[in-house]
Amino acid sequence: MSEFTPTIGIEVHVEIKSKSKLFSSSANTYGMATNTAVNVIDLGYPGTLPTVNKEIVRQGVRTAHILNCDITRRMHFDRKNYFYPDNPKNYQITQNRTPIGRNGYVEIEVDGVKKKIEIEELHIEEDTCKSAHRGNVSLLDFNRAGIPLIEIVTKPCIKNGKEAMAYLTKLKELLFYANISDCKMEEGSMRCEPNISISKDNNFGTKVEVKNVSSIHNVGLAIDYEIKRQEEMLNNGEIIKEETRRFDDKQGKTILMRVKETGNDYRYFIEPDIPYLDLSDEFINDSLKSLPLLPDELREKYSKVGLNSLQIEKLINNRSLNDYFLGLLKYKTNYVTAVNLLLSDVSSYLNKHNKVITDTNLSYEKLVNVIEALESGDLSNKNVKDLIDSLMETNKTLEELKKEFNIENITDDSFIKEIISKVIENNTDSVNDYKNGHDRALKYLMGQVMKETKGAVNPKMASDMLCEALNK
Amino acid sequence: MSKYLDLGIKEIHELLVDKKITPLDLVEESLKRIKENKDLNAFITINDKVREEAKNLGEVDPDNLFFGIPIAVKDNIVTKDLRTTCASHILDNFIPIYDATVVEKIKEAKMLIIGKANMDEFAMGSTSETSYFGAPLNPLDKKRVTGGSSGGSASAVAGGLVPLALGTDTGGSIRQPSSYTGLVGMKPTYGRVSRYGLVAFASSLDQIGPMTRTVYENSSLLNILVGEDEKDLTSVSKDKEDFTRLIGEDVKGMKIALPKYFISDIVDEEINKRVKEVISYLKEKGAVIDIVDMNYLDTAVNLYQIIAMAEASSNLARFDGVRYGTRATAAKTVDEMYEKTRGKGFGDEVKRRIMVGSYILSGDNAKTYYDKALKVRDDITKEFNRIFKDYDLIIGPTTTRVAPLLGITKDDPHKAFMDDVLVIPVNMAGLPALSVPVGKNSEGLPIGLHIIGKTYDEATIYKLASNIEEVF
Repeated sequence: MSEFTPTIGIEVHVEIKSKSKLFSSSANTYGMATNTAVNVIDLGYPGTLPTVNKEIVRQGVRTAHILNCDITRRMHFDRKNYFYPDNPKNYQITQNRTPIGRNGYVEIEVDGVKKKIEIEELHIEEDTCKSAHRGNVSLLDFNRAGIPLIEIVTKPCIKNGKEAMAYLTKLKELLFYANISDCKMEEGSMRCEPNISISKDNNFGTKVEVKNVSSIHNVGLAIDYEIKRQEEMLNNGEIIKEETRRFDDKQGKTILMRVKETGNDYRYFIEPDIPYLDLSDEFINDSLKSLPLLPDELREKYSKVGLNSLQIEKLINNRSLNDYFLGLLKYKTNYVTAVNLLLSDVSSYLNKHNKVITDTNLSYEKLVNVIEALESGDLSNKNVKDLIDSLMETNKTLEELKKEFNIENITDDSFIKEIISKVIENNTDSVNDYKNGHDRALKYLMGQVMKETKGAVNPKMASDMLCEALNK
Repeated sequence: MSKYLDLGIKEIHELLVDKKITPLDLVEESLKRIKENKDLNAFITINDKVREEAKNLGEVDPDNLFFGIPIAVKDNIVTKDLRTTCASHILDNFIPIYDATVVEKIKEAKMLIIGKANMDEFAMGSTSETSYFGAPLNPLDKKRVTGGSSGGSASAVAGGLVPLALGTDTGGSIRQPSSYTGLVGMKPTYGRVSRYGLVAFASSLDQIGPMTRTVYENSSLLNILVGEDEKDLTSVSKDKEDFTRLIGEDVKGMKIALPKYFISDIVDEEINKRVKEVISYLKEKGAVIDIVDMNYLDTAVNLYQIIAMAEASSNLARFDGVRYGTRATAAKTVDEMYEKTRGKGFGDEVKRRIMVGSYILSGDNAKTYYDKALKVRDDITKEFNRIFKDYDLIIGPTTTRVAPLLGITKDDPHKAFMDDVLVIPVNMAGLPALSVPVGKNSEGLPIGLHIIGKTYDEATIYKLASNIEEVF
């Protein structure tokens, strides 16, 4: 039954981060009280005119750049005309003929194979109101009306759910790291609409669009479900209609929303209220200057300082820790120890207290001191666990905290020797194991030493002395 | 009985400065005249706070010619807290919550808004007979139309109810009624005057301008209205200039073009004769006048029907009963609500234009009609520029005939456009143009001379107009 070839394209809408809306000075915010971030322009009041927020055009330029698109130098906006209560002017200002970016790609890797997902175009447009239905009444929240969106359209070059998920994950990471968008699917600041068709030959099959998919994972599920559903239909001799479906994640199914009416006619024409925009080299270069390091650049950088790929991915998945770590690279220290510390004790502290690292008092200097102490053995991992709250919350130096917590690791040679002899005496089996080349036995014996001293011994000293005693 | 309003505004201003009269006297006289001339139907709404505003104007400013002068504002320009209907049923309960930029300007100049002038519904018409509130009458012959769409503004000034009015001109709507009622009416260069707060009919053509009794008053009022507005991206930044500065200067050596089409047989004989008299006079005074060939002028009405209708169909989509204006009750679905609201709210001419405009933008029609019209529009502009390489001004009659009787164009919507055949080309090219009265015909009806200038060269138009005004 696998003789069908699926063809998948994805339209992604992301809300652009900016101070104000696309065509008015109202705040671009999420979660404000209903209809409070609204002015006469957002309401489509008679006589009002749009103004273009340049910062959003800059975001468009940045997006086009990071998605490897050609940037359109002379562009205009267009009106897309359709009646709907959430559409205040009954036309949406968008870019139809001159999208800000064209012909780009995003490189993904699936099962070790690299592939370019081609971007057809990306354009800037305004969002509509949010509507809510209560019984017979429909309510409108204009806070969302005029929020800037970027729509990113791929070519129909995706073959399955896995590729789609890889593309969306990469896209999200890029847009997030470039500070274009929060990309929070749960808040609607990233919306993905895949369209799927299957065919046995080179002619495309009938396209089915899936909306309201709540996560990237579900996009993958929806696509794979849709491919299967369409295959079954065609095998049963049924005809696929051009329709819009939604994904129900509880049932793991797509469900029909509406059959597409033929000839949806948006009567596009050039928005006469906004003159053509000519993007100068200066404007474009200026916009790109503020782009931070993007994930693939970070991966390369981190790999050079010795992090393994697991550490790198964990760091990139946590934007605030990543940004903090990036700052740490200006200091000379052991970055591997640093990242381990950040991903373990520091992360547990942050999660427990629901904080981000910039909210804490963990200065780079303090962190570098902690790393040095760990290296030299002045501080044990257990000590760090004891100190973590104070390290994060106070301005006290490591030295001050050590005093306060009475951390003075035992460095008395004779005392340590005594403990080691005792451990060797009581664990003859393990000692023999060690001598027969089982390295794991050393770890066990070291554990026993730590246990005897309740962790209060300088671990580096103890380990060196244990080895010396065993190798006698 | 006082007749202050029949004086020039310079003389009125002197009386105000000398404390012989107060702004309230002017307001009372204006309100009295409006009442006595109710049959003119020049106003849709009277500003019932104008007496109070007159009392609160404060100390007369001797340097402000417009201090305390009553003015009529066309009812498609929004006025805060003062009903703005666009002469339509759909907005007959609409009280704006903000002032148009020009309204802010006339308020800053301490003019007093007496009321909102009658007009064609949404400025769509050439006789003001499409007004939901009935047609205004021509004060020079009440059996005749004022012209349109700024008919109420024309009626109010020509009838002596107010000395000044604001009109709007999309395809001759300031100049044609000025011609029919013996006034001076200027359509400034597109972009001179902010459109923010002008309820859009055809955004790429609309422009606000002054309608007055004299050239001097007209140019003085234009001084107040112009200026770049950050709320209107199509407004232009220009150095401040005094539009009265060339008034009265000798026309000797001026180079003026008279396109053949403007004196062809489409123009009434008596009007043609008068234009020739003007030409002989100007030649006598040393101006050089050449009859020239100009292409595309005869396409302007068709272009207008395509471009203006297309833009209008989109601009008027926002009147849907959702946010403001009249909403039809007893609708079961949203679509039914739209249909009933718009079906009852708009008059026949508006509906006709919305339908034509929607058709023009539908599917492939957009390419066949709209895109092509934009190309020919560019050609008209180039044609004007060609003439303006050799000439300072272009002249001709403003209209092909004098004010017609009420009712005669009502049943032939296409014929109504032919009233504007001479004025529409100017809007296509975005140029400034003015109608100045050149006496009356044998029936005592005014004839207007049309003076078209180069982009942003309103001052030269006023120079020629002031010379003509002195003699005719």
